[in-house]
Amino acid sequence: MFRTPFPTTVKLGLLRLKNTTPQLQDVVIVGGGPAGLSVLAALKNSSKTAHLSCKLVEGGDLNKIRNFDETAYSNRIISLTNKSMRFMQKIGSWKHLNLDRMQFYDKVAAYDSSSHEALIEFTNDAINYDPMGAMCEVVNIQKSLIARIDELDQSDCLVDNVKVEAIEESTSEIDWPIVKLSNGDAYQTRLLIGADGYNSPVRRYAGIESRGWAYDSFGTVGVLKLASDQYNLVSLQRFLSSGPLAILPLPEDDATFVWSAKTEVASILKSITNDKIFVALINAALRLEETDLKYALNKLQVNPDDTSVIEDLQWRIELFEPNEQLDIPVVIGVQPGSRASFPLKMSHADSYVGPRVALIGDAAHTIHPLAGQGLNMGQADVASLVAAIETGIDRGLDIGSTLVLEPYFAQCFPYNHALLGVCDKLHKIFSNDVYPIILVRSFGMRFMNSLTPIKDFMIKTLSV
Amino acid sequence: MIAAGKFVPMVYKRSLVTPMAILGGLFYSESNRLADQMAAGKLHYKDANSELNKSMKIQFSRPEPQYPGHVPLYTLERILMFLGSSVGSYFHPERNEFIVGLGESTALPVVLRHIQKTMLSDPIGRQILKEKPRITSTSLDLDYLRALPPNTIGHTYIKWLDREGVSPDTRVAVKFINDPELAYIYQRYRECHDFYHAVTGLPIIIEGEIAVKVFEFMNIGIPMSGLGALFAPLRLKPSQKERLFNIYYPWAIRTGVNSRPLMNVYWEHMLEKDMDEFRTEMNIEQPPDLRILRKEYFEKLKRKKLIM
Repeated sequence: MFRTPFPTTVKLGLLRLKNTTPQLQDVVIVGGGPAGLSVLAALKNSSKTAHLSCKLVEGGDLNKIRNFDETAYSNRIISLTNKSMRFMQKIGSWKHLNLDRMQFYDKVAAYDSSSHEALIEFTNDAINYDPMGAMCEVVNIQKSLIARIDELDQSDCLVDNVKVEAIEESTSEIDWPIVKLSNGDAYQTRLLIGADGYNSPVRRYAGIESRGWAYDSFGTVGVLKLASDQYNLVSLQRFLSSGPLAILPLPEDDATFVWSAKTEVASILKSITNDKIFVALINAALRLEETDLKYALNKLQVNPDDTSVIEDLQWRIELFEPNEQLDIPVVIGVQPGSRASFPLKMSHADSYVGPRVALIGDAAHTIHPLAGQGLNMGQADVASLVAAIETGIDRGLDIGSTLVLEPYFAQCFPYNHALLGVCDKLHKIFSNDVYPIILVRSFGMRFMNSLTPIKDFMIKTLSV
Repeated sequence: MIAAGKFVPMVYKRSLVTPMAILGGLFYSESNRLADQMAAGKLHYKDANSELNKSMKIQFSRPEPQYPGHVPLYTLERILMFLGSSVGSYFHPERNEFIVGLGESTALPVVLRHIQKTMLSDPIGRQILKEKPRITSTSLDLDYLRALPPNTIGHTYIKWLDREGVSPDTRVAVKFINDPELAYIYQRYRECHDFYHAVTGLPIIIEGEIAVKVFEFMNIGIPMSGLGALFAPLRLKPSQKERLFNIYYPWAIRTGVNSRPLMNVYWEHMLEKDMDEFRTEMNIEQPPDLRILRKEYFEKLKRKKLIM
């Protein structure tokens, strides 16, 4: 304990008497999503930072996540890269993950609706076996992180069912930001970590601008039932002119889909109440040409319950000649009530750090889901931020100072910026049906597919 | 090479040849070939099945037909068919086999896919592709058509058939288009051709045929029609050319572009429809009657001769 340069624990006891005076904390994390919980778990897991007094403020009920035991899959499912998985192992939350609800896959295939031959496949080396990634529910990750925090005996750090009312600058001689909560409490913190999503109040407090654009698209997600349970090793993505549709494997014959589509298409998808129509549409969107799909969508725009679409699409699907290189799954059902949609946007904060402030996860950047990198970028942020704090403590610095935090920004920003840019350009190249672009992109896809070194490099950057 | 009377020695070309030979020798040397074989494990390996496999190999075989009557062609055959039929149809446009050959050898999948797209985007077009109706003298009740009121499509059609002395059965089955659906689309185009004549009222004499072809090309986009529109007028008399270029080409281009897609018309369901109503719906103008124009021209010519 002699290493502790902070007299906070002493002060805390004195200050707790007065409710109006904020409690002093070393770290306050706003947001109990995967990023926020990961920071807490990582800080508490590291011997260098475990002594810091931390609080995590979450508006929702974390007990709900702690006791999550539904058999049906939740619809917020993300892809984990090997790097993220290794980080989870490092902070000790991995063993709490329910692996039965996760699905590892070892192949990623992408193909194009506008050209028949365009196909690109990524497979990991069979000898140095490592999966390409794993599909996992967000709630599963949150649950494992909470279990790890409980295991470390740090449940007191979690403050849930409480909203952040205001974040204010201090007027006293301690210049730490004050976080006022809806239950009347207030924390004054040495370091405020914003893991509070796209509309981050922490970012607003820090006065950091976030730049980017909305895609005029929505991602529709849901849980599907496939006709076969032999399909769960491949993550599949088809580029449609309205946006990519991905079928991602879950254990046995379940799968999840992410259909990124222009707003008008997404609103049609949302208006379909009959799951049978939706299943027919998904099957068609995985196989048929744009013309057939557009015809069906136009019909559904007029009447979302038009069941004649099913028969019409069935007729076209029967005529469809499958590509021998690619096995496309047959969808037979969608889990009732699992469909949901969310707007897609790209945004990137000018800086991740400010005086006594650090932003992580969606508060710092939002990305198009086509490469499945959103949560993984957040995990990389957490790893880098915690490493920066560890270094700061090693050097006896104030962990809220930008001197400590800036290495985190310097390490993560360029990589994230490149990834955001690549996904943005991929979205723009693939979400259109301009003929010359189709020609170039399908040539590019085939060319890349035959160039193993480039593919290996991509696998290395994205999944390892 | 001799330039301005001065002899330029060709030695400089060697400067390229020699390094290429050296490089090639490095890459494709005998030792490299052997090393490759060794790496692939084939150096001292003889495939026990090689003799068997040799006898199994079929030297020359056509792919399986995709639909009854289908004759899969090789690209070379297709090119030869195009050359032969285009020369043939230039000199003998009245001979059906040349027109058939030219049409099918130029109906590239790209073009047919485009027509397929047009049809699949339209409810009626989709219905046609789903039901695949054929137009023959048995599928159409010709006597019933004769009994229809005079201004219906059916009656106009049969009147036109009777006037030109043709029957729906004169249309040959498609053989050389590989994809079954695309083959049907071409078949449909071919069988509906007479309806285009009937709607426009143009006869099967060469000028009328050319005018309909231009109209079709602008509306549907079959390449053969375009070729016909380009080359067929070369053989015509000046008076015919004048008529075509002044009256029928402008009409065909204007109407072809402005009218709605003809492939999406379910003619069998339209037989009782009023012709004028149909023309306004489809946005088709009727051209001047070619036979009357010709008659007037010949009479004028006759009168001129009489006077002279």
